[in-house]
Formats: sequence, C-alpha cells, structure tokens
Amino acid sequence: MNTQDPVAAFRVEAGDLLDQIEQGLLDLGHRLEDRALIDEVFRGLHTLKGSGAMFGFDALAEFTHHCETAFDRVRKGLAPATQELVAVILSARDHMRALIEGDGAGLESAGAAILAQLQAAIDAAGGAEAAPVAAPASSGSAGPATAARGWRLFFRLPAEAMANGTNPLMLLDELRDLGACRITARTDTIPALADLVPTECHIGWDIELRGDISRDDIDDVFIFVMDDMELTVEPLEAEPSEDVGQALQSSDTMSDIPATVPEGPAVATSAKPGPATGPASAAKSGESVRVPAERLDELMDRVGELVIVQSRLSQLASGHGSAVGNELALRSISEEIERLAGELRDTMMVLRMVPVASLFSRFRRLVHDLARETGKTITLSTEGETTEVDKTMIERLADPMVHLIRNACDHGLETPEDRRAAGKPEAGQVHLSAHQAGGEVLITIRDDGRGIDRERVRAKAEAQGLIQPGQPISDHDLLQMIFHPGFSTAAQVTNLSGRGVGMDVVKRTIESLRGAIDITSAPGEGSTVVLRIPLTLAIIDGLLVRVGEGRYVIPLGAVEECLELSLEEDLRSRGRSFITLRDRLVPFLRLREIFETGTRPDPHQKIVVIATGSERVGLVVDQIIGSHQTVIKSMSPLHRDVATFAGATILGDGGVALILDVAQLVMLGQNQEERLRAAG
Amino acid sequence: MPESIPASTSTQWDGEGRLEVLTFNLGEETFALEATLVREILDLLPETGVPGAAPLLGSVVNFRGKIIPIADLRLAFAMPAAEATVDSRIVVIETEAEGEVFQIGIRTDKVHEVATLDRDASEEPPAVGMRWRRDFVRELVRRRDGVVVLPDLAAIFRSLTGAGDSAAGQPSTVH
Amino acid sequence: MTASILTVDDSPSLRMAIRIALTGAGYDVTEAGDGVEGLAAAGAKRFDLIITDLNMPNMDGLTMIRELRKAPEQAGVPIIFLTTESDDAMKQQAKAAGATGWLVKPFVPEQLIKVSRKVLGR
Repeated sequence: MNTQDPVAAFRVEAGDLLDQIEQGLLDLGHRLEDRALIDEVFRGLHTLKGSGAMFGFDALAEFTHHCETAFDRVRKGLAPATQELVAVILSARDHMRALIEGDGAGLESAGAAILAQLQAAIDAAGGAEAAPVAAPASSGSAGPATAARGWRLFFRLPAEAMANGTNPLMLLDELRDLGACRITARTDTIPALADLVPTECHIGWDIELRGDISRDDIDDVFIFVMDDMELTVEPLEAEPSEDVGQALQSSDTMSDIPATVPEGPAVATSAKPGPATGPASAAKSGESVRVPAERLDELMDRVGELVIVQSRLSQLASGHGSAVGNELALRSISEEIERLAGELRDTMMVLRMVPVASLFSRFRRLVHDLARETGKTITLSTEGETTEVDKTMIERLADPMVHLIRNACDHGLETPEDRRAAGKPEAGQVHLSAHQAGGEVLITIRDDGRGIDRERVRAKAEAQGLIQPGQPISDHDLLQMIFHPGFSTAAQVTNLSGRGVGMDVVKRTIESLRGAIDITSAPGEGSTVVLRIPLTLAIIDGLLVRVGEGRYVIPLGAVEECLELSLEEDLRSRGRSFITLRDRLVPFLRLREIFETGTRPDPHQKIVVIATGSERVGLVVDQIIGSHQTVIKSMSPLHRDVATFAGATILGDGGVALILDVAQLVMLGQNQEERLRAAG
Repeated sequence: MPESIPASTSTQWDGEGRLEVLTFNLGEETFALEATLVREILDLLPETGVPGAAPLLGSVVNFRGKIIPIADLRLAFAMPAAEATVDSRIVVIETEAEGEVFQIGIRTDKVHEVATLDRDASEEPPAVGMRWRRDFVRELVRRRDGVVVLPDLAAIFRSLTGAGDSAAGQPSTVH
Repeated sequence: MTASILTVDDSPSLRMAIRIALTGAGYDVTEAGDGVEGLAAAGAKRFDLIITDLNMPNMDGLTMIRELRKAPEQAGVPIIFLTTESDDAMKQQAKAAGATGWLVKPFVPEQLIKVSRKVLGR
C-alpha cells in the first residue's frame, strides 16, 4: 500500500469500519439495550461518512449519512433498537461495502430500497415521533453578500476567548488583510488592577475598514467567536473618512483562498482529492496485512545482519588476502547468508500468520442470516480465536467452513418446536473452536442438533451403490459416506445448503491444504466436524525450562502457575506424586524421571502446573529459565511417534529445545493418578 | 509413521553398472551411501536428546534452522555407541517418502571419499552367517581393501516404528 | 520556527490526509489516534495548535478538550475540532468545552491550511 495515498488508506480503514459496524450490530442483536454497542456502531457510521466524504466517496457518504441520521435517533434514545432495525442496517452495511468497492453505478435503486426499509423500521420503532430519515439539511451558507465602500466595526471578545485559543491580534491581522484599517482600542472596561484576570481580554476595538469588502468576508474573520462576542458591523455609508493615516498597517492583497468555510450537509460539498470513483479494480489492489511491530523488529534484525555480511563480502571482493584465506572467508560468508536467508524466510512466514478471529468473525453474520432465513434460534460461540494460521490458509478455509456451518444450521439444528419437543433448549448451539496442537491447527465445528441420521445415510449409500444392501459397515465408515461426491442427506434441497457444493468438495479442499477432516455424530445430540490443518510454522509464547541438561518449552497458554518444590517436600512426596493446590489434589510428573536424565534433582526444583480444560497436572522441572517467543518447528517424520513432544524450537544460542505436548502430559498425569488410586 | 518411510530401496546402479557413493566408517566397518543423497558433511553439532525416542534416533540438531534427527547407525549394526573423535562427522542426507522430503544426519566415525562402486563386485547379503540383520543391508560390495556395506536406511528406520519389531530400537514408551 | 500541530483522529486515512496537507504547508505534525493519546501527546509537549475529531473511541474530542483546558499550561493553545455535525448543538458544546474553532468535514486541504493559518497567524 502506498503510504502516501489517503484514498488507499481509506479503503483499508473502511473495511475495518464495516467489520466493526457489523460486529457491533450482531452483538446489538443480542443486547438491544447496550449503550456502548449503540455508540460503537454510531461512531463507525459517523467515521465512515466523514472520511468517505473526505476522499470523494460521495455516494457512500450520502447513503451512510441517512443511516447515521436514523441510528442517531437510537443513540439519542428517541427510538429503541429493534431486531428489524439491526437487520436493515446490516443490509445497509453490505450496501456500503458495495459502494466502496464499486463505482456506485447501478446501485442507486438498491440503496433507495434499503433507505425505504430503514424508514419503515424507524417508523415502527420510533412511533409518531419518527423523523424523516433523509431529511435534507438546510444550507448553512449566509445570505447574499453585500458590497460596500467599507465598514465600521466594533468588537469585544468574550472573557474566556484568549484562554480558549483565540488571539485578538490575529483577528486584527485578518481584517488588515481585507483592506485598509484604522484601529482604535477601547480600554474603558479594563477593571482595576486588583480585579484583573490576566488571561481575560478586556479590550474592545473600533475599526474602520475600507475597500470593496463583503459582509461575509468580515463574518468569516469572526466565525469562531461570532456567537458569543460583541460585534457590530455597519456599512460606511457617508463620505469615507480621509483619515487613514493612523492605520497601523494596510494591505490590499486578498487571500487567494476561497473565503468561505463550507457548512451545511456533509454531502452537499465534497472534496475529490483522489481518483475516488475510479474503476472497481482499484478496490482489489489494496490487500494488506497488519503486522505487529515486534515482528517487524525481528525482520529488521535479520536485515541488519544481512547488511553486515554484505559489507564483509564487499571487503573480501576488494581485499588482498591470500587465496586460501579468501576461500575460507568466502565459505563462511556463504554459510552466513544461507542462514540469514533461511531466517528471513521463516520470519516472513511468521508475518503471514493471522489469528483465526478474522475467519471466525465472518461467520457471525452468516449464522445471523441463517437464523433469520430458517426461523431457528441459533447461538454461535467461539473459542481459541487467537490461534494463528497462515493468511492464505484462512482464505482457503473460508469456503469449506461456510459450507460446514450452513450444514450445521440448516440440517443439523432442529426447529425451535422440534427442540422443545426433544427437551432441548430452544436455541441451537453452533460452536467454533481453534487450537494448536504441535504443528497442526485443529478447527472444530460443533452443533447440538439432531445428529446425522444413519438410516438415511445408509439408504442413500445403498441407492447409490456405494455399499451393498445390508452390508455390515462400521459407524465411522458409514459417516464417511457423506464425503462421497454427489452425496447429500437433505431430503429437501433448501435454499441454504445443497447448492451443488457438497461435503466432497469440502473434503477435497481440506485435503488440498494437506489437512484432514473427520466427523463424529451422536443421534439427537449433534455433530462435530474436526479440521486438522498442518502448520509448517507457528509462533507461541512459551515457558523455557531446564530438566537435567535439556531445555524444553512449555506452551505458556497452558501454564496455570509455577510453584517451588523443596527437596524435603520432594522426598516426602515420593511415591505419592500429588500436591495439594487450593484443596485439590493435583498429580505431578517428575520430568527428570520421565526423560531419564540420570541427573540429580536441582535443589530448587519447580512445579509448573499446566492444564487442558479442567484437568491439571504439575510438571517438576529443575529450573525455570524464562519466557520465550517460540517459533514452532515440526519434528522429523521419524520422530512423530514420540508423543511427549509437539515440536521443537531453536533457541537464541542456536541450540534446540523440544516443545512439550501439553495434552499428552496431562493425559499421562491423569493415568498416573488413576493407577495410584487403583493401587490405593 | 511407517507410511512416511521409504519402502526397501533397491540400489540405482547407472547404465554401466556403476554407483557413485560417499564412503565412511562406523567402527571398523566401511559403509557407503549414494552420493546423490548427500547434502552436506558437518563437524559434530551440539545435539539435543529426545527423551522417549529410539536410541538410534535419540537426538536432534539445528541444521540451518531445521530440526533434523541424528542417526547412530552403529546401534543398527551391533556396535556399541562410541565417544566422538576428531574424525567424527555428520553426513546429512536427504530422502523423500510420500511426497515429504526430509533430512537426516548420520553420525560417522570417519568420512572417506567419494568412490565409484562396481555392480559386478556386489553381492546380496548372505542368508546366514551375518552378524547383522539381513534386511538392514542392501548389498555388500567387494573392493581391493575390503568390503563396503550399503545399508538399507528405509528398513532400519522402519524397524524403529514397526509394531513389535524393534530389534535395533528400544520401545519408545515413557515411564 | 516551524509551528507544531497535533492532530487527533481515530481515522488513519483522515490523519494521513491532514498530515500530508499540513506538512506540505510547512507545519510539523504529530498524530494521535484518540482522546487518550491526544492528551498524552499534549502533556508531553506544548503544541501551537491542536486539531481534533469529536467522535472517537476511548475518549471523545469534547472530553479531551475539557481536559486540556483544565491544564494551565494549555491555556491559549488553539484547538480546532473537525465535525460533520450540521446541528449547532455540537458546535456549541465543543465551544463551551473550550475549542477555538472548527472545520466542517469534508474539507479540502486548502481549507485546513487556511484555518490553521487563521488561528496560528503563520
């Protein structure tokens, strides 16, 4: 993105604002009374309008202005927020996007239709008091200008004007810029010294201003103080006074800048500093990624090193060293550059990582719309939105996930009546979660609907000749049938799903990402689809610990707390391997023993308590080294059977630290607990 | 991950029955690997032990930003683990399986030279009478100064993960 | 000496446009993204002029202006607010809070520069 192009910046910003408006509206749909949300949506509309007008997006500014006006009634408490209003403004928001991306051509009628709906929604909500949405704001420009031979003025500023930044000398200078002035100060209202407030202005000024000057020009000088000040302006009708000799200064040059500051409706006048209504293709070119500053710093460090190596190379090229020495130096430089190139590549990869929140947030709107279309009540919950995935991966996951969520809402969840009849809460649940497990990200889409109808799947599979009638097949294999091309269990193809894209396409897409898809389903309880997406690289915050002579990283997200384990306690607890933590017994694992370090325990061992869900387990380590920004590297395929580790990372000194697999260790701890309990 | 390890390899002699190899020592024995597999020969690097992994693949190193396992083939050929010497080197080879390319470092006691082996001088490992597991050896090639062993890395690594078939490796359980 | 101007706006594109216009006219420009940042920036250094939006997250322009005017060291610093409000009420509120003047959005760079010159005198 060109950093000097405000129009490009506006496009990016407008995208963010639209997202913010959408999220705000969706939240508002759940909490209609939430003032903070109303303010947030209003602010989004307001900024969009203001900036849009600034950068020549006139149609956008005008349309948004109407929405803002309508929404302002909600903000001011004149009309309540209603679901209808939220829905209309959501569609208005989509229209705004179209206006930003396109040149606005052919969108007028759509916009008018939305405004009509908006009016209807406001009428319904605001009752008799409803104001017209598209009320034309009156023009604020002053009346016809009166020219005169000159003017006689008197003005005195309000007491607080100087403290508030108005400098009377500058007003006088401005008047002088208009024409020849004779200025006399009136000092009659200056109080006694004892009563004088030094920040207040007590002087008034009489001015005779000569020239072909319009009244507007004079008002313009005082525009900011006009309402509160004393100001009289009279035309010099009579013989102009010849006595201009006392004028302190005069100027006959007029400012070449248009002298009116435009007021009135924001859309009535607009600046066009850029090719704002250019071809629609411009909208696509503004793709950008936001990057945390510290990651840029890493990149900068690498570039810094590269510059140093480059200068070594230059030195070598111009140097006079021995052939042998040169060759050695060259080899070392070559290795250095190779290392740096690798690190640059890795850092670049990290720059591409974005949180899945940006993916998940798109589905809130989808679920909202699906709920409206199906007449179902659907609650979407999300978890693990900070998990980071490569940007490209996010883009390519969007479509398959849309399909899966549609399936869940359309086929999975029952109607409110059916749910009541089944003894379930009326609102169906769709839950999205993401978490990272070693070199993979697991994305789960879970619904609490009716589950997959095995009989129907079997019937369909038999009808399509995928299995023989009556052929025994495992439940898991039966469920896999839905991934078969052309397979759809929806008896009735609805508007929402079953539009030619099937689960087979979803599966193919996921597999093309070198991922895997799995589905489980319990009749009457719902279905869960798990997408496993490989990650060649990811970053986590880790806790670096020492066990024996090895260094290990514990994902910081799983760490609950760190405790001291004194040698005495350690000895006392032998054979028990439990600690009491806030009245709960927590099993702990001595990593030194598990890893067979063959070393003596550090006299100041620590217990790092880690947790997955409600399960916790303590890990006894020799030393806590500190926190560590961990770039996850995958283990060799030859080491994938070593379940205790989720990956490895390279430390600052070039050494390797293995990353502990929290889930595995918690399981190990729980197993140990059970064994010990069983043993009594 | 058995499926990611190449199936038993057959030696790719060229049209004239020759094979370019890098020869190296493990203990007193001379081994050889295809020169085309060799990526780099390194001095020993600081190794990081992988608890729970088979001793034959018991550690990893940072090889230019990648984590690669170090294989101690001595353990596959009934030799005791040995201390490093000034001659010890790591031979990094690259191999591919199931579309996945990965690198392994092989710890050697001494690296010799790139040599050309002759198919006419090679023979299958004998069915009986060998100290080693037969499937770990692809061919034995006679040379003037002795016999060169072409190990079957795929079979060796597969034996580490194959169910109940871990003659060379320890079961990778944790206690 | 170059006049230094603080611009406070939550819209990056608007800040960019303001910066381009004002630096082009020879002013020094410092940017802040909302009222909180604006207060912090103004507290660190006395500016010759502050240009602020009114509608902003975290702390809106009105509140920021009031806070600024409470500080004796900000006395006399001109504050121009940007507004799209056509109703007078907002203007009055901002003025009562201690603003010096205003500029109605949308504006062209020349208008911004003109208003800056008007209150700065340079």
